[in-house]
Amino acid sequence: MSHSFRFLDDIATADLAFDASGDSLQELFHGATCAVIDAMADPSTVGSTWRKSVERTEEDPAELLFDWLSDLVYWKDADGVVFSTFTLTITCGDDGSWHLKGELCGESVNGLVQVLRNDVKGITKHLYHVRQEGMGWNARVVVDV
Amino acid sequence: MECAGGGGRMKLHTEMRVNRITDEVWEIPISEKSGMLVPARIYATPTILQSMDAGVFEQVTNVACLPGIRRYALCMPDGHWGYGFPIGGVAAFDVRTGIISPGGVGYDVNCGMRLMRTNLTQQDVQPLLERLMTELFRRVPAGVGASGAVRLDHSSFEDVMVRGARWCIENGYGWPQDLEAIEERGCIAGADPSKVSDQAVSRGINQLGTLGSGNHYLEVQVVASDRVFDQKIASAWGITGHDQIVVMVHCGSRGFGHQVASDYLKVFEKAMRRYGISVNDQQLACAPFTSVEGQDYFSAMNCAANTAFANRQVINHQIREAFAAVFGRSAEELGMELVYDVAHNIAKVERYPEGDLVVHRKGSTRALGPGSPDLSPRYRTTGQPVICGGSMETGSYLLAGTQAAMSDTFASTMHGSGRTMSRAQAKKTIRGEQVQKQMKQRGILVKAVSMSGLAEEAGFAYKDISEVVETVDRAGITKKVAELRPIGNIKG
Repeated sequence: MSHSFRFLDDIATADLAFDASGDSLQELFHGATCAVIDAMADPSTVGSTWRKSVERTEEDPAELLFDWLSDLVYWKDADGVVFSTFTLTITCGDDGSWHLKGELCGESVNGLVQVLRNDVKGITKHLYHVRQEGMGWNARVVVDV
Repeated sequence: MECAGGGGRMKLHTEMRVNRITDEVWEIPISEKSGMLVPARIYATPTILQSMDAGVFEQVTNVACLPGIRRYALCMPDGHWGYGFPIGGVAAFDVRTGIISPGGVGYDVNCGMRLMRTNLTQQDVQPLLERLMTELFRRVPAGVGASGAVRLDHSSFEDVMVRGARWCIENGYGWPQDLEAIEERGCIAGADPSKVSDQAVSRGINQLGTLGSGNHYLEVQVVASDRVFDQKIASAWGITGHDQIVVMVHCGSRGFGHQVASDYLKVFEKAMRRYGISVNDQQLACAPFTSVEGQDYFSAMNCAANTAFANRQVINHQIREAFAAVFGRSAEELGMELVYDVAHNIAKVERYPEGDLVVHRKGSTRALGPGSPDLSPRYRTTGQPVICGGSMETGSYLLAGTQAAMSDTFASTMHGSGRTMSRAQAKKTIRGEQVQKQMKQRGILVKAVSMSGLAEEAGFAYKDISEVVETVDRAGITKKVAELRPIGNIKG
């Protein structure tokens, strides 16, 4: 099982764009989540004293990823945290809907010990897509900063 | 394609026909894209037009297809691609038959500029600059997850949404006369907190008085006498030259405004199907202005706009306190009067010869000319101050609104210099520490929360603001008043 992400040079002049991929939908979600966490702060400098469980269900995996990534932005502002690690599982229900169960870990923002990066304001739908291609999944996400 | 239409042949990042109207105004006729209801007009010199990315041409013509649009879809010379509308976009829609779109306002509702004058000169400030910037950095929280000094309960935050900068004055964060120097006197009518989601409230309630990150900043600047272009107007606004110190703030409604925009983009995606509206780009999701969804968004957006006015007002208060602490004199003694505060991401109902129009300005500034009844008396003879921020290395400009803007561009003009290089590319080109060192060598002291964020904002990532300003000055839609040179900058 593997996933990856890379920030793009020539898309989203004023903001941040990344491509994420995985050899399953769950791995794609892992890759995209790592990208958003990495955009906010260096996760290796962030502790895990704050935890939040998140569950979401959507018919469309693209909407599910959009909402999940938006959850990260929401908790960053609402609880004033940045993130270090996370867990998530994606399952497909009998009705064809996709269910996400995840846990975010992080700690309160502290610029003295954490390497802070961008104050991500939101996930956008500009050029946004989630696609299954061949044996894997990929997504393009533009993040408003 | 090559553009023929006078002034030689140009290579543009579009296949569409672009006709020259004047040396600063270019038009894409409605024949160039199926569904265009009005032509698109771009304000640019030939050099700027050639540097504009393909997104500008695509997006401004997409805007020209939206229901109820009047006259032209416009793009200012600092234009570049945005979400739905281009940054630098202006469009006006009939209140009865037209739409309202979060994509025409921007995610950061009422992102805007504020400029404050002082009686100090560079000679007064230079010896204490390090201490001043440290004090400002301490008092104005910036960067990821920063929370402000103002603690609000839910009810007080609702008051902020409705009363904007007025709430700040009533609660000791400013002077009563500040309100006369803020667009709409810092309080837009029609804000309804019941139209704002709990998520937006949770994101915004702790952020009053914070700068944010990205291209938001607080800057200490100098006005040299030889960079005052209109002495009479400058003097009327308290700008004297003689190496005078002024302070500029660029920020908006923070996570609160973004959540409002995100919430209503979802609402509008569904509403469009109900109203039979189709758009060329999902980020142009919109609803009829008079619809329930349209009015709900307008009310929520006005809450975010008022919160942004309040945010800049609290920051303004913190700046006055920092100056008073460092210079040992009160802000009143230091002459720290507000020059102006103006939005550059907003939608407002304004009256034009066609009637009442919903004017969307996204990365574009209102520029009312002399005599406008919507201006406070102190600006009636000069026109409205327009504050345009450049990169943190190249300086900024103070301009004045004109009658030509009122007749030609729905009283709108540029807002800044506009990026030419992506953030990712800028970070690969230079490190934040290098930017900080180079700027110090040039006499600009920078305090930044994030070094990677600093690299992203390097001056070479932006257009030359002087050429952008010359374009709007020559086109007559704003008039140069003064250039402002940075000596200290705070970034998130």
